[in-house]
Amino acid sequence: MISAETLIYLFMALAGIGSTVSVYYAVIEKDLIKAVIYSAIQSTFYALLYFLLMAPDIVLVYLPVAVGLIPGVLILLISKTERVEQDEESV
Amino acid sequence: MRSLFKILLIIFVVLGFSLLLTLASEYFIPGMEVRPLAIFYLSTTLNPWMQNLTANSPEAVTAIVWDYRGLDTLFETAVFYLALIAGISLARGISLKANPGKEGGLSVIVKSVTKITAPMIIAVGASIGLHGHLTPGGGFQGGATIAVIPLLIIIVFSIYYLLNRRVTKENMLMLRSIGLVGIGVTALAAFLTGLVLGESAYVFQNMAKPTSPVTFPATLNGFLISGSLWFFNFFEMIAVAAGFTIAFLLLTYPSRSEGEEK
Repeated sequence: MISAETLIYLFMALAGIGSTVSVYYAVIEKDLIKAVIYSAIQSTFYALLYFLLMAPDIVLVYLPVAVGLIPGVLILLISKTERVEQDEESV
Repeated sequence: MRSLFKILLIIFVVLGFSLLLTLASEYFIPGMEVRPLAIFYLSTTLNPWMQNLTANSPEAVTAIVWDYRGLDTLFETAVFYLALIAGISLARGISLKANPGKEGGLSVIVKSVTKITAPMIIAVGASIGLHGHLTPGGGFQGGATIAVIPLLIIIVFSIYYLLNRRVTKENMLMLRSIGLVGIGVTALAAFLTGLVLGESAYVFQNMAKPTSPVTFPATLNGFLISGSLWFFNFFEMIAVAAGFTIAFLLLTYPSRSEGEEK
């Protein structure tokens, strides 16, 4: 039977891999709104990591800032420019 | 197919580094036993048996942030304030050009849901901020949670909904200044009281210390408020919530009137 500590480390490993994959998608995505959403998913995984690392204070500041405020501000800024990132050749 | 290969490669690299770190951690990561510094903090944050050597707060993190290293936190707040001043000065001269009577926004369903959830989020933010000395949380956390609401209202209802209810840049700047002045007064309160009473006291003093008898009340009407920590959290919450609101208002001020070409 898996011990509780091993289970916590397992969850942390899964959250770490999940955040890595969402960062990859956020970097390659050309549609900036989708990139912001991938970045918010990565922040959610990080919040889970902080929670498992027993830092509830950081979770409480990280959730509203990284999942609520930063994506909101980025979407506002994207709405003032263009939604889709263009290749350098086509410019 | 190529992107799948790339993701698999990244995952294997991450897993490889994790394995290396796990093996290396046997040698340099401290064990599970509590270290001497932590023992010092844990035995002084809430210690009813040594009233002269305690912060009277069960939440060690908040006690450290606003009592043990309060000056650091004051300068962090000042940095946030200065960043906001820079933002306001960049946006000077921006004025509303569109029709303020017109309220747009999203559909009725979204608006109704927002009307129900907005008070809930504010209540959660206030409880995070005002219970910061008892449970995980604090002024910045509570303020940041409350600041989600103006952003949500701007997107769901439109900025005029806020402006028509006097949530303007000027009013928020006043609220934020009240928060900062409150933080400053709380930091100086014990020192000024000491000057008046002729006792020795320090700036950023919370509870009485062996060398200075001036103290904030640890409890108010039977409730633990941990002296200055509650006041710091309260004013920081106001300052952060108002500060973020100013930033959102400046970002979403419409700079051209309706129908005007971009």
